[in-house]
Amino acid sequence: MRADEDQLRAWMVDGLDGNASSHEALLRALVPLLRAFYRRRVGDTDAIEDIVQETLITIHTRRMSYDRHRAFGAWLFAIARYKMVDHFRRTRQTCPIDDVEHLLISPGFEDETGAAIDMDRLLDDLPDKQSRLIRQTKLEGHSIAETALAEGLGESDVKVSVHRGLKALAARIRGDRR
Amino acid sequence: MNTDTLIAALAKDLPPVSRHAVGRRLLLGILGGGGITLLMIALLLGFRGDLGLAMRGFAFWMKWTYTISLGIGAVVMVVRLARPEPVRLRGFWPLAIPFALLAIVSVAEMAHVPSGDWLAMWLGKTWKKCPWLVLMLSAPIFIGLLWSFRRLAPTRLSAAGGAAGLAAGAWAATLYCLHCPEVSALFLLTWYTLGIGLAAIAGALLGPRLLRW
Repeated sequence: MRADEDQLRAWMVDGLDGNASSHEALLRALVPLLRAFYRRRVGDTDAIEDIVQETLITIHTRRMSYDRHRAFGAWLFAIARYKMVDHFRRTRQTCPIDDVEHLLISPGFEDETGAAIDMDRLLDDLPDKQSRLIRQTKLEGHSIAETALAEGLGESDVKVSVHRGLKALAARIRGDRR
Repeated sequence: MNTDTLIAALAKDLPPVSRHAVGRRLLLGILGGGGITLLMIALLLGFRGDLGLAMRGFAFWMKWTYTISLGIGAVVMVVRLARPEPVRLRGFWPLAIPFALLAIVSVAEMAHVPSGDWLAMWLGKTWKKCPWLVLMLSAPIFIGLLWSFRRLAPTRLSAAGGAAGLAAGAWAATLYCLHCPEVSALFLLTWYTLGIGLAAIAGALLGPRLLRW
């Protein structure tokens, strides 16, 4: 079972109040979430379990920095993201940019850039929530569950919004062509 | 280590966290560092002899109003940057208000003094050492704040370090007022601000190294 924002937050708040079993339940529920989060982003699969453990320790020692009035998912993923960047920095995982000229003059580059600009323009016309969710799920590659948690929304809410947004986009594109 | 064992170990000893834990921890860090700063002033510099008299005058309270308002603003900034949340730094523009008000006071002050005395008023007797003393006295408070940050989660390390440096500088300057005999607003505006600014710059430079977690 995947725990949702409300459940995680309830455990977190309980844990902050000193309830050890809620805190334990929270950390256990976070393990699959964090594994999925890092697996999609960190190439080095051997390192994932280490990063997950480090993140759990951080969440434990720095839990004071969670504000009870804010979305738990946003706090969680901010920490997870920071730990991931830290991992990249420590292992000096970098992307060589020697060939950047080739990249820039490669045949597909202009088309892709143009497509990205068009996409931005189209998304800007959508309601804020829909465009934000489409960006996260379709462009940045977050899963529905992660997006729901980070935004403090239900998963079905995210799915519906993305679906409606894509439908509106499709209608707009057809309209433009006509 | 097995992840299950780790979780069990983490959950074993769980002190409750109060709602005001962040503010309390920052306060503790500032008070702890401030105590050392006060001790340094008492042992190395000495309090000004006419402190009781000065505290009944305008200049002393002008100085405290400036440094304390900066100190409070900087602590608010530190509190915001201590959590892993997106923070818009432009939202901290009110920190410029004390500076602007003091600039107005300085202009009024200059209007009341013949222009031949402006230089003496601006440099006072201690302009050479004032900024450096403020910077030096800010170090214990900055270290106190580093301790506070060990349970917090800043994600913008330069900004958080800069805010911590600013807070340390402003509160160090507040305590330095107990020693410093200068009375001019123009002096304060230049040399105190320089000292506090140096502390903020040092904090911003050190932040990415010292605040990593």
